[in-house]
Amino acid sequence: MLTLVVGTCLPVVLATAMASAATAAEPKTQAAPAPPGPNNCILCHGDKDLWEGEKAKLLVTEADLAGDIHWQSGMRCQDCHGGNPRAEDIKQAPHAAEDGFRKVASPKDVPEFCGKCHADIEYMRRYRPSPRTDQLAEYWTSDHGHQLKTAGDLKVATCISCHDRPHGSGAERHTHGVRPVSDPASLVYRTRVAKTCSTCHSDKKLMAGRQYHGHPLPCNQYDEWTQSVHGKAMLDKGDLSAPTCNNCHGNHGAVPPQVDSVANACGACHGKVAKLFAGTRMRHKFDLVGLPGCATCHGSHEIHQPSDAMLGMQSGAVCVRCHEQGKFGATLAGAATARKLRADLERLKSGIEQAQDTLSEAEQLGMEVSQPQFTLRKASDALTNARSLIHAFQPDPVEKALAGGQEVVAEVQQHADHALAEHRTRRIWLAASLAPILLVILLLLLYIRSLPAATGGVE
Amino acid sequence: MSLASSENPPEKLRWPGRLGAFFQQRLGLDSLAALAAKKHVPVHRTTLFYFLGGMALFLFGVQVATGILLSLYYKPSPDQAFESVRAIMTEVDFGWLFRSIHSWSANLLIGILFLHLLTTYMMRAYRRPREITWMSGVVLLGVFMAFGFSGYLLPWNRLAFFATRVGTAIAGSVPVIGEYALLMARGGADITGDTLARFYALHVVILPLATIGLVGLHLFLVQKHGISIPQRVIRKHGGEERVPYMPFVPHFLLRDMVGWYLALGILAALAALFPWELGQKADPFGSAPAGIKPEWYFLFMFQALKQLPAQLWGIEWLEGEVVGVLFFGFCGLVVLLVPYVDFGASRGRPRWILNFLAALAVGFFIFMTAWGLR
Repeated sequence: MLTLVVGTCLPVVLATAMASAATAAEPKTQAAPAPPGPNNCILCHGDKDLWEGEKAKLLVTEADLAGDIHWQSGMRCQDCHGGNPRAEDIKQAPHAAEDGFRKVASPKDVPEFCGKCHADIEYMRRYRPSPRTDQLAEYWTSDHGHQLKTAGDLKVATCISCHDRPHGSGAERHTHGVRPVSDPASLVYRTRVAKTCSTCHSDKKLMAGRQYHGHPLPCNQYDEWTQSVHGKAMLDKGDLSAPTCNNCHGNHGAVPPQVDSVANACGACHGKVAKLFAGTRMRHKFDLVGLPGCATCHGSHEIHQPSDAMLGMQSGAVCVRCHEQGKFGATLAGAATARKLRADLERLKSGIEQAQDTLSEAEQLGMEVSQPQFTLRKASDALTNARSLIHAFQPDPVEKALAGGQEVVAEVQQHADHALAEHRTRRIWLAASLAPILLVILLLLLYIRSLPAATGGVE
Repeated sequence: MSLASSENPPEKLRWPGRLGAFFQQRLGLDSLAALAAKKHVPVHRTTLFYFLGGMALFLFGVQVATGILLSLYYKPSPDQAFESVRAIMTEVDFGWLFRSIHSWSANLLIGILFLHLLTTYMMRAYRRPREITWMSGVVLLGVFMAFGFSGYLLPWNRLAFFATRVGTAIAGSVPVIGEYALLMARGGADITGDTLARFYALHVVILPLATIGLVGLHLFLVQKHGISIPQRVIRKHGGEERVPYMPFVPHFLLRDMVGWYLALGILAALAALFPWELGQKADPFGSAPAGIKPEWYFLFMFQALKQLPAQLWGIEWLEGEVVGVLFFGFCGLVVLLVPYVDFGASRGRPRWILNFLAALAVGFFIFMTAWGLR
């Protein structure tokens, strides 16, 4: 899976990485792209009749290239592939080595091919003031890079596995057009990263027999991620800030986070919780017994929306896993603390609900309760804060936060009860004031009856 | 013996009588009493409608009294308006009661005025010599609707803010003067603190002064021309002088008072059982709430304007909203000039076309309002 993730990001990496590699191989800064001239490459490579069967991968039309960031920037075939684009006949040897033709004979050649430019800071600066040029270097540190270089595994992801698939076939084929990462049509646009990684990492045949640090690579990471709170946030709600593969595994230098760095990976977004956890004895014990930090309780790819049900010693709670039977040295005192914290959380939740119900009732009766409603948010904030503080694995800060919430609830409940009581009082006073009004009306009517009736016409 | 005509009160009177004599001598109350004694109110099948004017006057009094009390605590600035109204509702003793009565009474007043206008129209009480009485009444209805529109914004809540934005934008679509009127009303391009200040000034100074003048004129004319009697009633009794009557004081006044007490009880009940809600504080940068609606008495126009297409019959310069606004403006002008539109007035005969138009207008009003409230 991780390999796939890396593969997803490889195209971008490769582009950059290639540039880096090229820089290493050719210390001299490359020349700018040649001025536009005749480009006869398309004459042959754009002719569908010439490229059939096995050779179909060499078919490149101008339509394919239209979306390519390189093509759009004015680069032409020879700027990447070398050769002589002015050759009008195949006999003129457009692919001659003396013309600098660069053959990509194997996936092994891809990283350096792209890295020729993308690792060359001076070259890349022509297109962007502060470009990344570390992708190639990162790639060689990734598990993909390692497998490619040391094991000669030609099926691992390289740049074009993720950024472009110009020479595939059928669904595997992507147009010969590398798009910027910010382009929603790019294979590595945020919402497409996971799917791109899954192209390899969900392929059981491809993953069969592959291992990472002695563990077989699974194939269900994508399915798990789509069911996770992160996947749903991105795919269902369109939240582009939700994490996808590369946020935890890296992109060009993709590797799975190590056991002792999981918390740091999660902490990249969940900073407060990670900071709380980092200073705990629990963290220390996790490290000692080799538990993967946050993932121990929350899982890795299939991370669900945390709930209060995770806390405590009842069925379904995560504390039970260790504290019930003293696994990994977990104590019974910890179990008692978990029970108490859960009970206190429930108490505050129930208090908030009750106060809200009373406020709603008062509001429906027309009472003005907007201020207490606003105040009640502080209790909800306290509840959220307490839930975060649980990751400190110390009861005191949690209890303090919950106690603050209870104070707010008590104050709001008092206001809400007062509003209801006032509404009742108003009805009593209404009845009390209507009585004299009706009495006056009655007396007036009686007096009116005693008056002479309407007189006849005026004489 | 008239006490007022006497320069020196008889010494045998005790202090209450002497106090009365004191004021009668100085204020000339006996002439008012004499005037009231001569005032008669015709008695017939639709005499009940005569109470609507008095009821409107009573509710106006309630508005003045509660409005003065509210003004003691209200702060007309965007930063404080909402909070001050909330304080009135929650902290000021009986503040909730006065604000709720003020709001409910305003709505009842507009409703009573609509009925007053309709019944006056159906009884043809606008005919000569009462044309100015009618017109002053129509203008008063417009003034009270302006009271409602300006007062709606004062709590500076979300619904009022956006409804005022929509309302003023509609007014701004009037050709030629629309843009100027919009800037005048808002005090700028959008609803801001300047708008609130203007609406407050309009609500508590300009409109009350106009109302006092118009109500004074209206009452003077009612007093001068007497109460109109429908032609049907006159014909039935064989002449105006043969129509039965009751003295204004005490017969009619006491019946008026029954209505006023009844209205007071209804207002108290509405305020206690259904306090006027405050809503959420306006956020000029927030999104408009769904289903913005003006007060019910503007709803028929709002709902009708909503149905009009952007361009009528696809003609680019014929904007639906502009045509709609001009149409309602024209209708308002026709209502104002009804005494001069009723060509049968000189013959004193009812015209079926006028009844038909009134029924059409009332039907349109009810249908559009119900549709808008749905």
